[in-house]
Order: sequence, then C-alpha cells, then structure tokens
Amino acid sequence: MTKFSVQKIKSSLTEFISSKGGKCALPVYILLTLGFVAPLFMVLGFSFATPRSFSAFTSFSLDNFIQIFDGSTSVWRSFLWSIALAAFVTAILAVVCYPVAVGMVRIFGSKTSTFISILFVFPLFVSENVRLYGWILFFGKNGVLDGICKLLGFHGPDILFTPGMTAMGLAYSYLPYMLFPVIMGVALVPKDLITAARDLGSSRLRTWWQIELPLAMPGVLIGMLLTFVLATGSMSESKILGGQSIIVITNDIDVSFTFSQNWPQGAALAVVLTLIIGSLTLYAFKKIDLDKLMGRS
Amino acid sequence: MTDLTRRSLLKALSAGAIASSSLSVAAKAFAVSREKELNILCWEGYNSADVLDPYRKLRSATVHAESATNSPTIVNKLRAGETKVWDLINVDNPWAREFMYPNNLILPLPIEEFAPYFDKMLPFFKYPFDWSMSTDGTKLLGMVQRFGTNNFVVNTDKISRKTAEEQGWKLWADDSLKDRYAINIADDWNVCHMFAIAGIDPYREHTKEEMELYTKTCKRIFANAKFVGDIAAVNQALVTGDIDVYLSGGTYTSSLARADGYDNIRAISPNKDAYMWIEITSLVNNPELSPLAMDFLKYVQEPEVAHTVAFAEGTFNPVAQMANPECFKLFTKEELDIIQYDSLEEDLTKCRADDIIPNYDEAHEIMVEAKRVKG
Repeated sequence: MTKFSVQKIKSSLTEFISSKGGKCALPVYILLTLGFVAPLFMVLGFSFATPRSFSAFTSFSLDNFIQIFDGSTSVWRSFLWSIALAAFVTAILAVVCYPVAVGMVRIFGSKTSTFISILFVFPLFVSENVRLYGWILFFGKNGVLDGICKLLGFHGPDILFTPGMTAMGLAYSYLPYMLFPVIMGVALVPKDLITAARDLGSSRLRTWWQIELPLAMPGVLIGMLLTFVLATGSMSESKILGGQSIIVITNDIDVSFTFSQNWPQGAALAVVLTLIIGSLTLYAFKKIDLDKLMGRS
Repeated sequence: MTDLTRRSLLKALSAGAIASSSLSVAAKAFAVSREKELNILCWEGYNSADVLDPYRKLRSATVHAESATNSPTIVNKLRAGETKVWDLINVDNPWAREFMYPNNLILPLPIEEFAPYFDKMLPFFKYPFDWSMSTDGTKLLGMVQRFGTNNFVVNTDKISRKTAEEQGWKLWADDSLKDRYAINIADDWNVCHMFAIAGIDPYREHTKEEMELYTKTCKRIFANAKFVGDIAAVNQALVTGDIDVYLSGGTYTSSLARADGYDNIRAISPNKDAYMWIEITSLVNNPELSPLAMDFLKYVQEPEVAHTVAFAEGTFNPVAQMANPECFKLFTKEELDIIQYDSLEEDLTKCRADDIIPNYDEAHEIMVEAKRVKG
C-alpha cells in the first residue's frame, strides 16, 4: 500500500497551485481554509483561557486540561462511553453493511439496488431528532411495539432509556455512512479475480478472506472511519433514546458551554476529543491507500 | 524593491483615502440601516412568526430573533461580546438585576414611559416590581410579560394534586418513587430542585454539611430516575404512563400536554418551597442600539400581542398583562385551562421567584458528577 505522506501532499499542492485553474481557485481555497481553521483556532484559544472566562487569547491557563486529567472529576467516563459506543457501533455496522453491500453490488439487479439505496438514503431527508422521537413512539410504553405485544397477550420489553438503546440509535443514524463507502469498496473488487481464485480451487471463505476483503478494505475502512468519527461526536441518541442513562463527552461539552457557563472547560474537552479522533484518523489514513480506492493506481 | 517616489506615495494616499471613505460610508449605512433593524435574543416564543411578522409589517422592519431554552446560554452571548449585535434580551428574572446590569450588559428603561404599563399587569407585578428594578430600586431594568411555576409535573391519575401539593418535595424523601419519575433537562432548575428535595434553601450560602447532604440527594435522585430527557420526552412518558411525575417542570412544560387534551397532566406548586420564573426583557447595552428596541417593548404590551405571546409556538404560559380586561377577554376557556388559570393566583402567592444560587458552579459540578456516575 502507498503510504500517506506529507511529501506527497506537498507535491500535489505545488502542482495544483502552479496550474492556471489552481491560481484562479486560490482565493476561494484561502477563504474556505480560513472559515475552517478560524473556529478551531478560537476553540484552541478558549481551551487555554482562565476557567469560566469569556474571552480567548487574553489569559493563559492549563487548568482546564489539568482538571480533565487530574482525576478530580469522572469526565473520563464520558470519554470512555463515547469511544466505546462508537467503536461498538462501528463494528456492528461493518458486519451488517458488508453483506448488504455485496448483495447490492453482485446479487441484486441494478433496479433493486437503486431501490435499496433510496431506502437507506431516504431517512437522511428527515431531521435526526424527529426520527429518534419516532423510535420513542415505537418502543415506548403503549407504543407500537408494546401495543403489538399486548395484542399477543404480553407486555413489550422495557428497553427505552438504556445504553443499549443509545447504541441502537447510533447504528440506525449512521448506517448510511457505513454502507455507501463499503459498497464502493466492494464494487472495486474485480469479479475476475474472484472467479480465478475459485477456478484454482480456493474455498469461498478463503477467497473472501484473502482476495475480496483485502481489496474491499479501503472502502470498509473509510466507512468505519466516518461512522466512528460521527458516532463519537453524536449526542442526540444518548439524550433522546438513552435518556442520559450514560453521559457522552459531547453532552459534557454542551453543558460546559451552556449551563456550566465554563467555555474554556468545554473548549478543552473539545480539543482533547479532537486530538483523540484526529490521532485515530491519521492512523487509519496511514493504512488506507486512497489512490487505490479512487482507482488511480 | 521599488523605491518610494512622490507618485507612488500619492497613489498610496489616495487609495487609503478611498478605502477610509468607503469604510465611513459603510459605517453610516450600517447606522442608518439600524433604524429599520431589530435583533432580539430571547426564550422561544418571542421568535415566533405570529409575534414578529405583524411587527415587521407595522414598522417595515427587519427583525431577527434568536432563541434558546435556557437563560445562561442567552446571557453568555452578551458576556462573549455580542452586545454589538443584539438590541433586546429576554431572560429569567434574576439575570437582569443580579448580573446583567451590574456588568453593564443592559441599559435602564425610561421610567416615565414604561412604568404606566405595570398598572395594567396582575397586582403581583405592581410597579416597582422588584425583579424588574435595579437592586437599589432606582432604575427600571426591563419589562415583564411571561411567567410560570417550575417545580414538578404529575399525572393526577397516579398522584393526586392534593397529595402532590401537600407532600411537595417530600415525595422524593425515600426511594418509593424509584423508576417512576424522570428529570427534565434544565440544569439550573435541576440544581435548585435538588436543594429543595434536600430541604435546603437554594438561594443562600451553604455550609459544608449542607453540600454533603446536597451531594447525597443528587446521587440518589439521579440514580432512581427512570431517565433524564427534554420537555417532549418527559411529557410523552407522563402521557403514556411510563412515569408518574417529572422533576423541573411547570406550566411552561405541562401546558404542551394539556393543549393536546391531557388534563390529567398538571404542574404542581408544593405548599412549601415552590418556585417560579418571570421573564424580564431588557435593552442591551449596544453602542448602536436600534431605535425600534423600546418600540418593540411597548408593542408586546398591547393586549392582542400579549395574548399571542402567551400562546406563541413552543410553550404556553400566563402573561402579566392578563389583568387587563382587554387582554383577558382574548383567552378562551380552553386556553385558560391549558395554562392552569384556576390555580394561578394561588401559585403566585405560594411560589418564590427564581434567584441566583451563590455557589451554583460548585453545586452544578456536583450534580453533573452525580448524573455521570448515577450513584
């Protein structure tokens, strides 16, 4: 696999800037970069401000970070819950989406595949909160599930407001973000290679393990990365479906910026979370050959 | 490097002159445009099209309103330097008197122009109403409109109004309500109510022993709660029978369920240690304050507008202007029932207005910790 390297980025950038199109697009790129970097810069500034102050860059303090790591609070639980839930949901979705992707690429006809794609994309047009409240109506007492169970003579399961429901909500919300990259990955596996392996006597399992999965892996990894990052940054699922049975780190950040009135604390939490996710992302990128994924090599 | 010549200097100077004159024109244009522009930072309701659209038409103005569902978030915007952006700020009562005015975030109103409006309000808000005045009682800091109780909400089919009012916070004295209640997410009110359950006055300095008792109470109350959710979730659970009662709610929250026909959902003001909020709308200390700011404050005092504000989208609440017969006649019997008008007078005598909790930061951290570890 080609390694993701700074040198490669540098040469691509130089090539881009020296082109006529690149020169014309440069002001827009600068504007977009500023728009992207400036808020992050502000968050960074606030994270080093005196606790409970409301201006960045006018003071310097490490107290916000010390408080996170000194063990005086249980905020580590929130980090742990967020990362563990995101990892769990990512693994579940990878297992669920792979066969669906294989079906859509190889087994179903193009019409069925398009129909299934629409089914998966359609919920994205509806606000996430509305969809999550829909699940409350489905799983709640006297809700759809409970009603059906009662018709059958027993009570529905009492599963709302549990960590399990938070995980279910995350899996439901982020399924499309896993599915479509996986479809892309599976679609890039040449069918001839699989046929050749089978002709040479390789078992189905061995063909999948040694040929199909490694070739589809860039798509799977992109899907896992997207899902993991989005799930770590989610809050609605634990708030609405989980009933705050667990507190995720984004909730702590939200509370710091609102009810706690401690923006520097919230900013420090955001910086630590960004660093954790950023490190994992960079590590994953090192393992992914983007060129191969895009079919450029 | 090009040398500095007379020609290049003149060029640079003229470019600078053009730039500065453009800036001054832009600044003037900004000041002029503020005459027809109004920015309101408020609780939900005042941002409703029902309230704002008629005003936009009336003054041919551009009115922008941004809402939040808690006062600290709204106040924080001004603290972070947005006084240049906003003209009016609408928050719960303690903030104007105790925080925003002492910190130069808001401006006083001309008493001679605004005091007469208090004559048409419920007697409870008679001028000079404490919470709308500065602590020394000399400045009028804002106008009063919406108010409501904030204690707990019950399903009267499960817990009668009489029992709830008599027992009050003692309902949570033991674990008998375990898994039968939820907590509405409103951290500032949650802190207040944790103190109330612990039998401690929230609005004074607390001893170490009191804080220990408060900590224990927070842990027990969060551990025993079925869930912690927003208004929609707690109301839904109360209606479906998932829970019998929820903490940190009042007419502000119960009115939504009652509007849907669930008369058995009722906001309770305990006979002892009941709390309420009153919204105060103030002029922001904006160096370019819109001339429409005071005009809008007068506009919302009109009987029709006051009624619209009471039933603006979001939540339904009583308004101080209901004392005015012109305003009161606009409320239907059903609307009065939704906002629990039958107990309004009683509530006003029972409830204590929200105030600043002196050690809020410490108390809030303890509560957040309790929420995380759940006992």
